Amino acid sequence: MNEEIKYEEALTQLETIVRKMEQNEYDIDELAAQLKTAQRLIKFCKDKLTKTEEELQKIQAEANS
Amino acid sequence: MKSEEFATAMMNEHYTLRQLNLMVRDAIEMHLPDEYWVEAELSECRENSGHCYMELIEKDERSNTPVARASAKCWRQTWLMVKPYFERTTGQPLRVGMKVLLKVYAQFHEAYGFSWIVSDIDPTYTLGDMARKRQEIIRQLKEEGVFDLQRELRIPTFAKRIAVISAQNAAGYGDFCRQLEENEYGFRFDVTLFPAIMQGEQVEQSVIAALNKIYELQSNHTSQFSPLSSHFDCVVIIRGGGATADLSGFDTLALAENVAQFPLPVITGIGHDRDESILDMISNTKVKTPTAAAALLIDNLLHVLEQLDDASQRISHAVNQRISNQKTKIVTMTSLIPTLALRVVGDQRHRIEMMENRLPIAIERRLTNQKHLLESLNIKLQGFDPQLLLSRGYSITLKDGKAVRDPQQLKPGDEIETRVEKGTIRSVVKN
Repeated sequence: MNEEIKYEEALTQLETIVRKMEQNEYDIDELAAQLKTAQRLIKFCKDKLTKTEEELQKIQAEANS
Repeated sequence: MKSEEFATAMMNEHYTLRQLNLMVRDAIEMHLPDEYWVEAELSECRENSGHCYMELIEKDERSNTPVARASAKCWRQTWLMVKPYFERTTGQPLRVGMKVLLKVYAQFHEAYGFSWIVSDIDPTYTLGDMARKRQEIIRQLKEEGVFDLQRELRIPTFAKRIAVISAQNAAGYGDFCRQLEENEYGFRFDVTLFPAIMQGEQVEQSVIAALNKIYELQSNHTSQFSPLSSHFDCVVIIRGGGATADLSGFDTLALAENVAQFPLPVITGIGHDRDESILDMISNTKVKTPTAAAALLIDNLLHVLEQLDDASQRISHAVNQRISNQKTKIVTMTSLIPTLALRVVGDQRHRIEMMENRLPIAIERRLTNQKHLLESLNIKLQGFDPQLLLSRGYSITLKDGKAVRDPQQLKPGDEIETRVEKGTIRSVVKN
């Protein structure tokens, strides 16, 4: 996955896949590939959130010290 | 007159001047032996060797032309007593233009001519006349609508450029300048002196001339630069000195009119114990002494300084208040922002997790649906299996592998197959 992608873009892509999944818009053939993409997006978003969380906590610790 | 002299004169029918004057003297002494109170105006008045020499005049009230004129003298011995009494009562010395009530007796001296000899002066008459004149001036000023003009002006907030009208070397002017220079607050005043005669006959003319000079500078300055800027902030008229000094020059209509209509506020400090002078009445502010005038100007700036101090304190207080409020806000926000940001992260995480959960559910459902579909298709297909018909006892006839649906398709001799549940029967068509 392109590292340049932004969280919001990743989230939008993910939401699109989930919606299409739920509304049966994919061919069965595509399902596996889309699931893989979705899982990569989920990992990317989670990593981003974890990183952000760590940064925030660090900033907070600096401000309070 | 000696009798032989008179006799000689009679005989010759010519008189020497002295002879004739002596006759006049006799006549006067005989016919005017008394003392009289006379009202007159002084047209001249001078002291010499302790005597006072006056010229008396009576003017026609309407045309102002003299209708009577005479010399009067007050000998040293009388003058020594009369003068201080007069000055104490009226607050000023005898001077030209004054109306006086004199007690006189006639004297004709053959060498010096006719003269009224003054034996007493009634100062209350002069006082009354002065008061009447003052009242007249006041009435006229009010009628002209200028009496209150000065009091409508305000001494400017930052009054520091002061035009002073005073005698050049007067002690009062020195006091005024010293007081301003030595003020304890360190205010700097910009004082310009417009010298004038502050005593006697020439006061009116001289002070008006000084006012005109100030006005000229002021209006030149105003037209040359901004109309708001000006040369001077106010005018101070001061004099200091002798208590018996002649202040009558400050009680004239022309001077009062000039001061009343002057565009700058005029402060008077012309010092006197008696009634207010007319100048004091019409000036913007009157004080007793030059020192008091300086104190007034210092107080004015002090008041401004206090206002500035007050304003600066209030501003700094308000600013500090704002800053401290903002600091509190920032502190609150500083502690709040990471929490809020973390909450956003948490929300996002939740959102991702929700989607993560929805994915397998959606896929699972999709696949199950497909399975069901396949199954139902399978069941449908099963319904079409021919074996099922055969097992029920039906059979299928085939020719060349194709189902025979119409006997017309066959002709005698054709070979056909018949499929039944448990096998195939081959036969030949007979007809």
